[in-house]
Amino acid sequence: MAYEFQNISILVVEDNQPMLTLAKGLLQSFGVGTVFTAKDGEEGFRIFCRENPDMVIADWMMKPMDGISLTRRIRNDPSSPNQFVPVILMTGFSERRRVIQARDSGVTEFLVKPFNARDLYRRIAQIIERPRQFVRSEDFFGPDRRRKPKTEYTGPERRANREEGGEERRGAAKATKPFVPPSAAPLPPDIRSTDSGKTEE
Amino acid sequence: MTDHYNQTPRRNAEFIKPPNLLKAKVGSGGLSEEILDKAQQFLENNTVDFLPLAEMYLDGVTKGIELAKDAGPADDAEYTIATMLYPAMQLKANGGMFHYPLVTDIADRLIQFLEVIEAPDIEAVEIVLAFHTTIRAVVHGRITGDGGKHGKELLAALNDACIRYFEKHPSTPLEMGEEG
Repeated sequence: MAYEFQNISILVVEDNQPMLTLAKGLLQSFGVGTVFTAKDGEEGFRIFCRENPDMVIADWMMKPMDGISLTRRIRNDPSSPNQFVPVILMTGFSERRRVIQARDSGVTEFLVKPFNARDLYRRIAQIIERPRQFVRSEDFFGPDRRRKPKTEYTGPERRANREEGGEERRGAAKATKPFVPPSAAPLPPDIRSTDSGKTEE
Repeated sequence: MTDHYNQTPRRNAEFIKPPNLLKAKVGSGGLSEEILDKAQQFLENNTVDFLPLAEMYLDGVTKGIELAKDAGPADDAEYTIATMLYPAMQLKANGGMFHYPLVTDIADRLIQFLEVIEAPDIEAVEIVLAFHTTIRAVVHGRITGDGGKHGKELLAALNDACIRYFEKHPSTPLEMGEEG
């Protein structure tokens, strides 16, 4: 079995036409059924409202509306058809403070340019296999900014995959690399659904 | 030590777990290596001419350099730095996408430099100009790929210039709580 990407639609928002064409072609190579495109955040939001795609991939630096503002609008504007839609932000910036800025705007995943086909695929697979829960607080609405479980224990993880992915491991032993698995195994639901402060970015 | 000093939390966050509609639509199993290789080939075989794009972003850096040269003490240093930083970021982002990874590497060093200078003083601007000239030479010389030994030497020379700058202008320690 493989992902059936023909069933989904993705909106790509990018002001650099060659890059837009490249990103669209890449998604089509993955088999994505419908790829909508827009040249800036304003147009992107209009198309988002009209088409309600399953995912948005946006560049950061665009005028008049950049990818961060677009994400905030998707998350908070009353006319947004899906406030929970996954948003991947593409940018040349990789500095920590920039990543934090993007994360705080409600971005789901961060993709540093230049990237290759597997980099983009890993972000998409991450969204599919490890979706973030959402947080609504006084000053933030968006994907939970914490992901990695925090633990004091530093020894070997002897039973790490007993409940999750056990079948996958057995299958992988037999297979001769037919599929590329997502980059990380899903977290147990009980870790992701509590407000205990036991998870962090 | 106890969380919140044993007091009742007053500003609780609401946690929402939206249904994973995407997973329901695409199913399981990932993509095959064959599909990913094909996608990578598509990326590598793109025939986009990077020169006009690079010229546009280099013009942006030039505008930033001009602004920095004309700037007075009352001007906003962060704004001036940003006018050079943003086109530099575009050069880094797009070089590698369109067969010029050496442009990405050089622009990355420029970004690292601009992210930490305190002010766009004349010596900093001279260094930005050196980066600009080098990137322009790479693009006009059609040096695709990493530039080999010559590419490494160019990078090392620019890096040394930055190191010399910071030896002369060591950065001021940040105040407590100030973002690094």
